[in-house]
Amino acid sequence: MAADITLLFKASVKTVKTRNKALGLIDTSARDEPSGARRNTRQRNAFSCKAKEVISNISKLKDFLLQHRKDYVNAGSFMSPDVSHMTDSERDQIDQDAQIFMRTCADAIGQLRSETDRQVVSAQVKDHRAAVLDLIEVYLKGVCKLYSEQRAVRVKRVVDKKRLSRLEPETACKDKPQTDVEDNNDKLVSDSNVDLWEDSRVEDDLSPEEIQMFEQENQRLVGEMNSLLDEVRHIEGKVVEISRLQEIFTEKVLQQDTEIDSIHQLVVGATENVKEGNEDIREAIKNNAGFRVWILFFLVMCSFSLLFLDWYDG
Amino acid sequence: MAASVREKQAAALKRMLNFNAPPLKNTAAEPVWKVLIYDRFGQDIISPLLSVKELRDMGITLHLLLHSDRDPIPDVPAIYFIMPTEENIDRICQDLRNQLYESYYLNFISAISRSKLEDIASAALASNAVNQVTKVFDQYLNFITLEDEMFILCNQNKEHISYHAINKPDIMDTDMEAIMDTIVDSLFCFFVTLGAVPIIRCPRGNAAEMVAVKLDKKLRENLRDARNSLFTGDTMGTGQFSFQRPLFVLADRNLDLATPLHHTWTYQALIHDVLDFHLNRVCVEESQGSEASPAGARPKKKNKKSYDLTAADKFWQKHKGSPFPEVAEAVQEELDTYRAQEDEVKRLKSIMGLEGEDDGAISMLSDNTAKLTSAVSSLPELLEKKRLIDLHTNVATAVLDHIKSRKMDVYFEYEEKLMSKSTLDKSLLDIISDPDAGTAEDKMRLFLIYYITSQQPPSEADLEQYKKAMLDAGCDLSPLNYIKQWKAFTKMAATPANYGSGGVKPMGLFSRVMNTGSQFVMEGVKNLVLKQHNLPVTRILDNLMEIKSNQETDDYRYFDPKMLRGSESSIPRNKNPFQEAIVFVVGGGNYIEYQNLVDYTKARPGKRVLYGCSELFNASQFIKQLSQLGQK
Repeated sequence: MAADITLLFKASVKTVKTRNKALGLIDTSARDEPSGARRNTRQRNAFSCKAKEVISNISKLKDFLLQHRKDYVNAGSFMSPDVSHMTDSERDQIDQDAQIFMRTCADAIGQLRSETDRQVVSAQVKDHRAAVLDLIEVYLKGVCKLYSEQRAVRVKRVVDKKRLSRLEPETACKDKPQTDVEDNNDKLVSDSNVDLWEDSRVEDDLSPEEIQMFEQENQRLVGEMNSLLDEVRHIEGKVVEISRLQEIFTEKVLQQDTEIDSIHQLVVGATENVKEGNEDIREAIKNNAGFRVWILFFLVMCSFSLLFLDWYDG
Repeated sequence: MAASVREKQAAALKRMLNFNAPPLKNTAAEPVWKVLIYDRFGQDIISPLLSVKELRDMGITLHLLLHSDRDPIPDVPAIYFIMPTEENIDRICQDLRNQLYESYYLNFISAISRSKLEDIASAALASNAVNQVTKVFDQYLNFITLEDEMFILCNQNKEHISYHAINKPDIMDTDMEAIMDTIVDSLFCFFVTLGAVPIIRCPRGNAAEMVAVKLDKKLRENLRDARNSLFTGDTMGTGQFSFQRPLFVLADRNLDLATPLHHTWTYQALIHDVLDFHLNRVCVEESQGSEASPAGARPKKKNKKSYDLTAADKFWQKHKGSPFPEVAEAVQEELDTYRAQEDEVKRLKSIMGLEGEDDGAISMLSDNTAKLTSAVSSLPELLEKKRLIDLHTNVATAVLDHIKSRKMDVYFEYEEKLMSKSTLDKSLLDIISDPDAGTAEDKMRLFLIYYITSQQPPSEADLEQYKKAMLDAGCDLSPLNYIKQWKAFTKMAATPANYGSGGVKPMGLFSRVMNTGSQFVMEGVKNLVLKQHNLPVTRILDNLMEIKSNQETDDYRYFDPKMLRGSESSIPRNKNPFQEAIVFVVGGGNYIEYQNLVDYTKARPGKRVLYGCSELFNASQFIKQLSQLGQK
């Protein structure tokens, strides 16, 4: 594979140095060192510092997200008796913070871009900076994807949890303690069940038909509720999907937006040009007409002068 | 050596672009930006392997030629990938003096000499940039990989090592030495990248033997130098069985002059023959469609479009070796599947529109959202597929136009018959005097193949007749002189190469294509089915790999750089058949041989064959070189 000859290079630098010294060539370069370095640092400050700042911010966001990812997603809380490390409010807080952060980073990138457009530097440096900003944007998009994945997983888990809790309302009492919302719902369901049981216990000697009827009604109600909740859950899932699709669409629409803008500019320019062209044509026609009038006048004058001379002579 | 040569070279390039550290697998890593500077050699090496998008992904913001005007970009590391020639070194010294970039990573395509290194060192000292020169590497990548199993030596100065240069009668020893050195240097780089020390076999008495001797010496020196050897350490550990060494067969172009002149019928070879095809990029001239031109408009222009045929193009990878009618069919099929998928997506649109206000939308919606998601996510793939289909349609149409105008199928059939020594149904003279069958060059090629493959040369009278016919058709006769000389020269050797006993079976008109109403109207073009037959190079390889005894190959010399004492014998020490082989043709090669080797490999699973040549030419370029030689 490749051979690292950096050491060889350094050795040859040394030999050249000694050779130069032996030949008596004094190096004044030792004095140039600080000025060269200073020149470099001055130019360095403007663009790459800011770019590096943006990158470090995005990296901080990424580290933050990755650090709390385990707690956020929280795969084990459903079964384990431990209290989950994060409440929903904390999760929402993280979501909001992350969104604000991403927006500021995107703004910073936009700012840098407009700045570089304004600055007057050579074409290659412009290209280079544009490409650097593209790279940073791609990095930001990657980190945003991390975030949205996390969020999608969380929403899915909540939906799944709700579904599972709905399926067996009778066994709610036996279920492990869950989050507050689910506990409330379970209590409600268990309350209604308890009520039913109490009622039936009071009327101890219900006829078997009535018991059967009540049972059937129970079943029917349970079935109805289940199907309703099934549909609702279904819709929730689909809405999540739709929102993802929306994201893709908005991205595409934004892309098209810039293109449409440029086309609009071109069209405006074209109409202006056509208008100017029309003006020029009108001018030209007028000039043509004016020219013709003068020619006519000149010819008439010539003929009159000829007649006059003829008359004068004759 | 499970990875192909192309992958190895690409991996080496990527590592180099990552400041010579192994690239990280982390997808969301922080971007580090850099500038890539190359010379023309570097450009040729990089362009078939990495696309601009891949360079961007690796953080390269700008890629520039070494000798262009470059502006200072002060806070960016620069990666140089250049050959260590005098002018390049001067330019680097100039860059160091002008302080164009923040830090410099110098990568030389082949090894740099000590004196040139000292030149750079003194320039760095003078401009006080020694600390900026962060790393210096010898990359040993002085060859161009075009396909997974095919490489050529160089594209830039290929006249220096062309067939013409090697075989010209007035060549001087120093020139020959220089040419041999170039070839050996590139081959050495190739073996370093491959990470293996081969066993070399070559025929006696020609350029191939000289190359083999030099290569053996170079490999031996490098292996002896235990400190700096490039073949030890982790290069050997990359999944290679160290007791299975590859076989390196050096062949000379003079062994088989008919194959480069042959008219061909497989897709890739046709493109190379007929269109402008370099470094996996084909340039097609498109004429504007026959639209009604507006009043006073300028005449129709011909656009030149260039397409890249890369490894990612699945259609190309599958069909580059198929005969042309198969390719036409396959394009048609792809087009049909694409249209079906497009209709699928369009249908979704109408369904969505209809169900928008319906109450029962909820239940329908679930199904459709899933379909919509899948459609949207597959949209980029679909667009890409469309682009590839368009590409291949254009290319194949251009090739077909050429075939029809030059009647290349007739030539192909005839030449196959000549090369397999089966009976000919039309006489050669008829074809040559036929005015609308092919260009003068085609006729020249046909006649040369006839001349080369005939057991005894045609009589003087016949020869005169042929010559007259060819002069009528407008051919230049100087290649013929050279071939006569060559034939006389090789008559002393064994019987001229036997081209195998394959044959060609025409299958009548391509009626099925017409029935499906495809764009490729192939009437008049016979559907010729290629039978398997082995070209001379393939046969030699077969003999050597399987250690068969054959009078041609028994006389080949045997070199093993790992043995302590070089031996002059040609008795192989290794009695087992080889699993890997590398065939290299000194003096030039082409896609027909490559395709033949690929077919040979397919028939034998478990064997890998790599094909290399000093330059890649198609028939017209080869004829030019032959005429130059014949004029001397």
